[in-house]
Amino acid sequence: MQPVVLLISLILMAALTAAFWLAARASRGEAPGPKANSKRTGLIWAMTIAGVIISVGSLRQWPHALASTGDALEVHVSGGQWWWDIDTTEIPAGTPVNFNVTTEDVTHGMGIYDSGLTLLTQVQAIPGYTTKVTYTFTEPGTYQVLCMEFCGVAHHDMVNEFEVVAAEE
Amino acid sequence: MSTASEPAAAGHAAVEPSAAPQAGAVKLTMILSGAVFALMMVFGLIMRAAQGQWIELDPALFYQILTAHGAGMVGTAALSGAAILWYFSGRHVVLTAGIFWAFLGLFLLGVVLILGAIFVGGYGGAWTFLFPLPALSGGAWEAGAAAAFMLGYVSIGVGFLLYYLELGRQIHARYGSLARALGWNLILGREDKNPPPPTIVAAAAVTIFNSIGIILGAAVLVASLVHLLVPGFEVDALLAKNLIYFFGHVFINASIYMAVTAVYEILPEYTGRPWKSNRLFAIAWNAVLIFVMAVYWHHLLQDVVMPPWMLVVGQLVSYFSGIPLIAVTAFSTFLYVRGSRMTWDLASSLLVLSVAGWSVGSIPASIDGMISVNKVMHNTMWVPGHFHTYLLLGEVAMAFGFMAWLVRGKTISQMGGLDRAAFVTYLAGAAGFVTVFLFSGAASIPRRWAVHYEEWLTHDRIGTLFSVLVVLGTMVFVLRFVARLGRSGD
Repeated sequence: MQPVVLLISLILMAALTAAFWLAARASRGEAPGPKANSKRTGLIWAMTIAGVIISVGSLRQWPHALASTGDALEVHVSGGQWWWDIDTTEIPAGTPVNFNVTTEDVTHGMGIYDSGLTLLTQVQAIPGYTTKVTYTFTEPGTYQVLCMEFCGVAHHDMVNEFEVVAAEE
Repeated sequence: MSTASEPAAAGHAAVEPSAAPQAGAVKLTMILSGAVFALMMVFGLIMRAAQGQWIELDPALFYQILTAHGAGMVGTAALSGAAILWYFSGRHVVLTAGIFWAFLGLFLLGVVLILGAIFVGGYGGAWTFLFPLPALSGGAWEAGAAAAFMLGYVSIGVGFLLYYLELGRQIHARYGSLARALGWNLILGREDKNPPPPTIVAAAAVTIFNSIGIILGAAVLVASLVHLLVPGFEVDALLAKNLIYFFGHVFINASIYMAVTAVYEILPEYTGRPWKSNRLFAIAWNAVLIFVMAVYWHHLLQDVVMPPWMLVVGQLVSYFSGIPLIAVTAFSTFLYVRGSRMTWDLASSLLVLSVAGWSVGSIPASIDGMISVNKVMHNTMWVPGHFHTYLLLGEVAMAFGFMAWLVRGKTISQMGGLDRAAFVTYLAGAAGFVTVFLFSGAASIPRRWAVHYEEWLTHDRIGTLFSVLVVLGTMVFVLRFVARLGRSGD
């Protein structure tokens, strides 16, 4: 997902930058015509309609939806300054996994990274709460859990790992 | 909002800045702001160089610098924004000088407490003081350092409340009510022979939402302080996080919304077209008043125990708050500039750049405000990527533009060689710096890590080089400002 997000962002940012550049260059050109404000109205409508479409499209399926407990493997992850404890070291590929995340002290962030150091999903670990996130691994390999919320002087050392193994036929 | 259909005013007569009330206090504040901006940028450069393994930095010191950089940048953005708003509000209402001095004194007291907490007490819990981290340092700092840090915030907050109390009081006295100052007569189509100018509409809105933000911030600061003294006094961590992010989000946004009054008041001197309030402008600002307070939930999109409707509101408002910015402020800037025959000196260039940077930075911010995207971007380098765009190229550019305008003299002339070099250096440095952050975020590099993996070093080193350019450009802006102030005898 990240490369697509980056590409879309850079295209939109470049387009808006170009609009400012053209406006600055046009300071020596003609003054805006009488239809300038109707263009603004059109822009407001375009942004509104695009916003509705994007919002409906991105929220129709709830991004934090969890797999039903009957189908999923339950994995418990607890965090503290500065460690992660994962109660399952081998997770089968292709099975939805519900990560149940707790913390023993301050707020942490459980980010799951693949072997190429790409962030796959994350959830905050909040004192006094159990937070849950579902992920289905497709590739066997070694995955890492990194802390995504600043938690003190050894925040960057708060790393653990687990294995995803090929599903049994 | 005026458009190109209005005739351009003849000539480019400049208003003499020193004729403005309390210009001396504002200029002193801008000297302090410029110096702290420069220092905080050097801190940023040090952190990027340390992440790139070009220099060695103990992680404890890295996180102390991180804390100072965050608190210092947010505080200075707010300080410079407050000085700008005070300066231009003084054109429309009579403000009491003593209040500004009290505000500045309390701010400086807060700075002393914060710097002492960090560099004497070793506090390194980030500017967000996320409960209960200040009390649980793992041995890195004592409770007293955390308390000093938070008392520094309290001092700054009290100063800001005094500031807004005076601003709100004088706006009320001049316009009869904050509702009228917010342009409600314009919105409702009622006759108003003396409609509030854009600066007053902005001042009224910021006074309301930032006062609310600071009061809620004070509540969580006090609760955190009591927790330090009496560890048995527990606060719900999620509630505390909501209060902290409400305060933090509103406070940093207020800095931009205060500083944008420089655009409203200064650009017309160059374009010859006065920036006027009208119905659309008033609607936009009233929308901003609501949006700024409702959008903070986008900071908690991965706190999945939050009520889902709050996260949905966070996503929706993240997107829709871009409409007043892009379709009103940015679009109006296009219209004011187009065909204006304006002179591009350092001040006008930085002010137009600031609207561009603010607007462009809202794009990656809105995209990160989508819950599904946030799942893989939250707390990666993407986040400093977008907020540095609308701060470095937005609020800070507004502050530097205002400073350049304060010392530009009585005539407006094209940019000289040094000004042009500084502008291009700053723009290239900042644009490159934030772009590297965005690429780093897309590469999943987590933010706020003192030690980086080998795979990430190229990002860090390129970012370091761009940050050198930002520091160089900033040094020229600040030194030029101080030198010209000295030359003019101010």
